[in-house]
Amino acid sequence: MSGRADDPDVSLLRPYLMTSGRTKPVDHTIEIEAQVMTSNLGATSVQNLTFERRDIISLCRRTMSVAEVAAMLKLHIGVARVLVADLAALGYVVIRRPEAETPQDLRMIERVIRGLESLR
Amino acid sequence: MDSNRSADPVLAPKKPPAPVKIVIAGGFGVGKTTAVASISEIPPLRTEAVMTSAAAEIDRTGHVPSKTTTTVAMDFGCITIDDDVKLYLFGTPGQDRFGFMWHDLVVGALGALVIVDTRRLDDCYPAVDYFEKAGVPFVVAVNKFDGMLNHDLNDVRWALAVSDEVPLVTFDAREKLSVRDALLAVLRKAFSRAQTRTAAP
Repeated sequence: MSGRADDPDVSLLRPYLMTSGRTKPVDHTIEIEAQVMTSNLGATSVQNLTFERRDIISLCRRTMSVAEVAAMLKLHIGVARVLVADLAALGYVVIRRPEAETPQDLRMIERVIRGLESLR
Repeated sequence: MDSNRSADPVLAPKKPPAPVKIVIAGGFGVGKTTAVASISEIPPLRTEAVMTSAAAEIDRTGHVPSKTTTTVAMDFGCITIDDDVKLYLFGTPGQDRFGFMWHDLVVGALGALVIVDTRRLDDCYPAVDYFEKAGVPFVVAVNKFDGMLNHDLNDVRWALAVSDEVPLVTFDAREKLSVRDALLAVLRKAFSRAQTRTAAP
């Protein structure tokens, strides 16, 4: 009964167990495209962290979105959001969120147009 | 006002790029993932999000369920625009029942590309409806399967009942430059929309 520690099927865990039962991130509005980058503090604190948090810190040495974190660690988006927001609150990752006014920002739209036009 | 939304430069040597996004919608098998794969600089990733939401507002069957839980697979990719801007493409199923979780995906999007297969036009109605109501600039892109177009574009416009203001383009989801051009159509639409809004008092 109890000798199941070697069971590789991690999906037996309820996803929200990883977030200690919380489903509301510290900042629950964090966007799925928000960029996550491990800070120097995070990089040096990696030993103190448990599995998923440690994985995120390792992964985000290369900056990526919350959605990428979720996909690469096979976490539900909601769980990834909670963990990333927690790590940000601790200063272990730096996040850059989209600007609310981007859809009205002519210069930004123009910039994206130029960037796409240069794709070959 | 936005100072707390940005990265703290003290903690990091460099700043993460500013993320922007375009939503790619349409029915199942219409070419969303193919389009993302053709242009993304990373292989498309999939994430499954469990969405729980009060569904009363969108349920037109007369039932008023208190909650609906749906697992939605979302394929996405990204394109580096320049040193400081990264474009994300999120592909999402356009079925009616999922409409309620789109807000999360659509908020802050520059615009949307609604991909249609002319053999199954019905599949894209919910997406068209949604973007019209949400005021998100969008373009309808007819995917030319095997280089064939089964209907005249004017017929498609008539069948979809979209206004003349909605650009209608044809493209091939397998071709990078063709996908790029469809995305450019979305951005030009977004630009003119933003211009109109900026000009308005």
